[in-house]
Amino acid sequence: MSVMQKQISLDETLAKDIVNAVVSSMSHTFNVDVKPGNTEYGEGMVSLGGDISGIIGLVQDQLDGTLILCMPFETLREILPHVLGKTVEITHEMATDAVGELTNMIFGQVKRELNLRSHQIKLGVPCVVSGKGHFVCQFYRGRNMIVPFHLDGKMFQVYVGLNDSVAEGPRR
Amino acid sequence: MSQLASLKVLIADDHFLIRQFVRNTLKESKIENVETAGDGNEAIDLVQKAKSTDQPFDIVFLDWNMPTVSGLDVLTFFRAKPEYSDTAFVMLTAESEQQNLMKAIKAGATSYIVKPVSPAELSKKLYEINEWIKRKRQSSNGFFS
Repeated sequence: MSVMQKQISLDETLAKDIVNAVVSSMSHTFNVDVKPGNTEYGEGMVSLGGDISGIIGLVQDQLDGTLILCMPFETLREILPHVLGKTVEITHEMATDAVGELTNMIFGQVKRELNLRSHQIKLGVPCVVSGKGHFVCQFYRGRNMIVPFHLDGKMFQVYVGLNDSVAEGPRR
Repeated sequence: MSQLASLKVLIADDHFLIRQFVRNTLKESKIENVETAGDGNEAIDLVQKAKSTDQPFDIVFLDWNMPTVSGLDVLTFFRAKPEYSDTAFVMLTAESEQQNLMKAIKAGATSYIVKPVSPAELSKKLYEINEWIKRKRQSSNGFFS
């Protein structure tokens, strides 16, 4: 017997899940205190700018989407020494590896919270993209939300984009 | 001296960040005898080599998803060998699905840690795992031996 699947909404509850996942991942792993900013909601293509991004697909029966953690290298250079030691020179490879693992941890926790509320989502295999000042955007013109975070004046972002044309027909 | 200090530990995870994080937390618990592996094959080699030189690992942390051989496969491999029955295998994962937890328990995992984990939680787990090791060794030696 199939269980009724709840649609995901881009709302304060999801933003709270993201904030909790990011804050606990950063605090537990790096012992740093990141502050969330105001969540922005939008529609259409949005570009995120950063140096290293962790991207993971999200799927439900009636909906699919993309989750992105987009970080500047400077932020990683700030937090990685908390684990690796102050004398270690942070390389691009180290930063890429860290974003991959953070992507897993953060969105793994978000998935857990969503599925506790019967959303039954599945995540794809995470992928990390790097390149100084690159832009990432979701291909479909669906709804999206961006949760910004601050750490000692440096910013990074978490993006959720949904393509619900599977359920509602193409929007474009 | 901490009762954990004498433990010999292997951390098998393909992410250096997690290897270093776990190593730092172990160090806070005075556990210094720590080795690391970056994939499943390396973990198998190191565990077997340590056993053959009579300096076995007491605890092996296994990332669920690793290149070459997964953490679950490493666990299954060693749980099929009775000589490793008192080695604690602890699964590390960002996944928390009940079915994965059940798979790990069925395969003989001693414990299961969902990342992110705080140093305090990890330390608490270490004490529980150490108690498990002591019970295992006590029962395999017999209470009066």
